[in-house]
Amino acid sequence: MIRKSILLFGFLCLAGCATTTPVGVSGSGATLKARQIQTRQYDTLDKALTMRSVVATLQDLGFTIDEAEAELGTITATRYHEYTMRMTVTVVQRGDERVSVRANSRIGENPVTDAATYQDFFVTLDKAMFLTLHGVD
Amino acid sequence: MYRGTDNSRFPLLGAVLVILLSGCATAKVPENALRLEESTLEVRSVQTRKIAAPSEASILTATIAVLQDMEFNVDGMEKPLGVISASKVSDADDAGEKAGLFFLDLLCAVGSGYSSFSCSNMSTAKDDQRIILTMVVLPSLARGGEYSVRVTIQRVIFDKEDRVKILERITTPEIYQEVFDNLRQALFIEVTES
Repeated sequence: MIRKSILLFGFLCLAGCATTTPVGVSGSGATLKARQIQTRQYDTLDKALTMRSVVATLQDLGFTIDEAEAELGTITATRYHEYTMRMTVTVVQRGDERVSVRANSRIGENPVTDAATYQDFFVTLDKAMFLTLHGVD
Repeated sequence: MYRGTDNSRFPLLGAVLVILLSGCATAKVPENALRLEESTLEVRSVQTRKIAAPSEASILTATIAVLQDMEFNVDGMEKPLGVISASKVSDADDAGEKAGLFFLDLLCAVGSGYSSFSCSNMSTAKDDQRIILTMVVLPSLARGGEYSVRVTIQRVIFDKEDRVKILERITTPEIYQEVFDNLRQALFIEVTES
């Protein structure tokens, strides 16, 4: 009886792994929280220099650039090192005085959701922004 | 009814359950995935050169010519950001690699005496590799008439069944030096021809 119960529980566990939206287009749905940890605002008007800093940061982190589009401010990059990590970074001008940078990342088939990893990215970007805005290559 | 033998299987079922449950857990992000490595500055200097050129058009034309010389295809380019993405698929047995792999294959074939070698990485002599390269060519922020050129290269080696075998970032200084030597030469040709 106990053994049957355990087996039944096992099947329930397996069923629990199945997604309710089989295609998974919408991801985990934690949009607002994800946006918060993936976004930083910078007090600059220079979108072009911000994008230059983003490219430099991605190169420092070992990525190669797959796609870059200056007008819409989108850069997608991949790093092949031990595992495959992909990032998309968007740079958008907000109002008259700020530029917003949002990064999202996946490792293999999993989205990166932990705040610490994005924090590390923005710490690196902060340094690159400082250097770029002060005219250092 | 006493069923002592069945009870002994419970730990096994328990282990299966633990595995099933852990399968549901979100994959953990490798620590330091987006943290700069200590070698970053060194690698950056290996990958970057300041090159004087008469115009942005001339250095970009020369850069694309170099990529073509090195048999790459340009996958994408965004001029305002100076970003050029290129890649090529080739045999992983090109040039010097073949000799090295042959030697290591030989050591594997000799036997287990060389336990420090991982023989799983051997026999790549007929594997394919995809080399992915990004060149960023931008006017120098510090000095007019100069351009900052940074190259980053990675490669993925596939085995004979097209499975990913090795993912790696290329940091060998000689490889980057060769790219920059080619670029200087191409720029010279571009300037004298135009």
